[in-house]
Amino acid sequence: MQRFEYPNDRETVNAARVRALEALLIERGVITGDTVDKIMAIFATEMGPFNGAKLIAKAWVDPSFMKLVAEDTMAAVEQMNFVTKGAGAEGEHMRAAINTPEVHNLIICTLCSCYPWPILGLPPYWYKDPSFRARAAREPRKVLSEFGLDIAPEKEIRTWDSSAQIRWFVVPERPAGTDSFSEEQLAALVTPESMMGVAIVKPPGA
Amino acid sequence: MKLQHYLGGLEGLDPIPLDTRVFAEAWEERIFGIHTAMMALSPQLNLETTPSTFNSEWTWADLRKGAESMHPFDYFKFRYYEKWLGGISAYFVAKGYITQVELDARTETFLMSPPVMPKGGDAAVDTRVRTYLLIGDDPKRERSTQPRFAIGDAVCVADPKSVDHTRLPGHLRNKPGIIDGVYPDAYVYLCDTGPDGIGKAMPVYSVKFDPETLWPGNTEQNFTFYADLFEAYLEPAIAP
Repeated sequence: MQRFEYPNDRETVNAARVRALEALLIERGVITGDTVDKIMAIFATEMGPFNGAKLIAKAWVDPSFMKLVAEDTMAAVEQMNFVTKGAGAEGEHMRAAINTPEVHNLIICTLCSCYPWPILGLPPYWYKDPSFRARAAREPRKVLSEFGLDIAPEKEIRTWDSSAQIRWFVVPERPAGTDSFSEEQLAALVTPESMMGVAIVKPPGA
Repeated sequence: MKLQHYLGGLEGLDPIPLDTRVFAEAWEERIFGIHTAMMALSPQLNLETTPSTFNSEWTWADLRKGAESMHPFDYFKFRYYEKWLGGISAYFVAKGYITQVELDARTETFLMSPPVMPKGGDAAVDTRVRTYLLIGDDPKRERSTQPRFAIGDAVCVADPKSVDHTRLPGHLRNKPGIIDGVYPDAYVYLCDTGPDGIGKAMPVYSVKFDPETLWPGNTEQNFTFYADLFEAYLEPAIAP
């Protein structure tokens, strides 16, 4: 629902203005003509949810690695062959919240949009929208149902508000019917939404 | 009191916009990239200097201060990256890198005909940006004092003076919680928030809250709320 009035050329002016700003910054030697494209390429290929999916698949097939993810998340991340190793902007100190049959976890940032870049990349729009940030704090079940996820009343929901220097992600439960799956096949099932707690990982074909 | 500090639990809002794209409009990735480059080139970082002319500090705290200083209606009116575009443009004008007149003029030019973007620049600039993304800006420091609280301690969240920027979610002010975790070592924040209390290295805790104490009779069952809080935001619970 649109609650405010906007000019008809809202997006064309925004687009022209941001390119004007970028052009001036290149001319003044602040950034180069390649800077923004190179940053976006890093998020497309090196820092993104494809990393988190690999980590979760490994945790599903290796119980000792799952234990490490739970107890010393950064040591587990360091074992993965990510370009950021055990560091990376917005991922210097990451923690995992592990879903179980008894507990469902949800990550939020009520003050802004803190997010573990090295393994999840950049957050989807809804995560940054004030409606999600406000509502998930008080009525997570209702919010999750809007995402199509109904959490049984007997299952505890834990919401993690990232207000200090720690960045959180969720380790979803391994779906049934995947016993014969390779790590690669399992990783392909893991969505960004499942690593934020607004979805579960579904078995293939479900 | 700033609405932006008190979003947690706010009622009467619309259903969640289920847009899974990172950028709602294609132009938004340009401002994200500019912001990220500014953080990477900010002079206080311990990274190799480059020929970039960027010589003033820019961190998340600067971006957040801008969003937190907005009129609360405007905060809701403008999309996430629209706020970034406004704040970052104003910063470059205020610091004298560009003028508002030339930004407006170039915008007009780009509205008339497709943008012609300048090329080139020193590759060392982009190398530093990449290095920043790969190693980050570690806020962890060695502890100089013992943490004031231990796991299981009952605490009460402080209620410091409201300033231009905070990392204390408003819905937790004055609320009772239990220490659920003590993070190793100590953590600095990107700026000194003055009477708000953070900046210098201090312990950070995971604090557990019963949502029923945050929103009595107006939350959900079988639900626990956790927040990571700097030590300055916590006081010992007062015995009943």
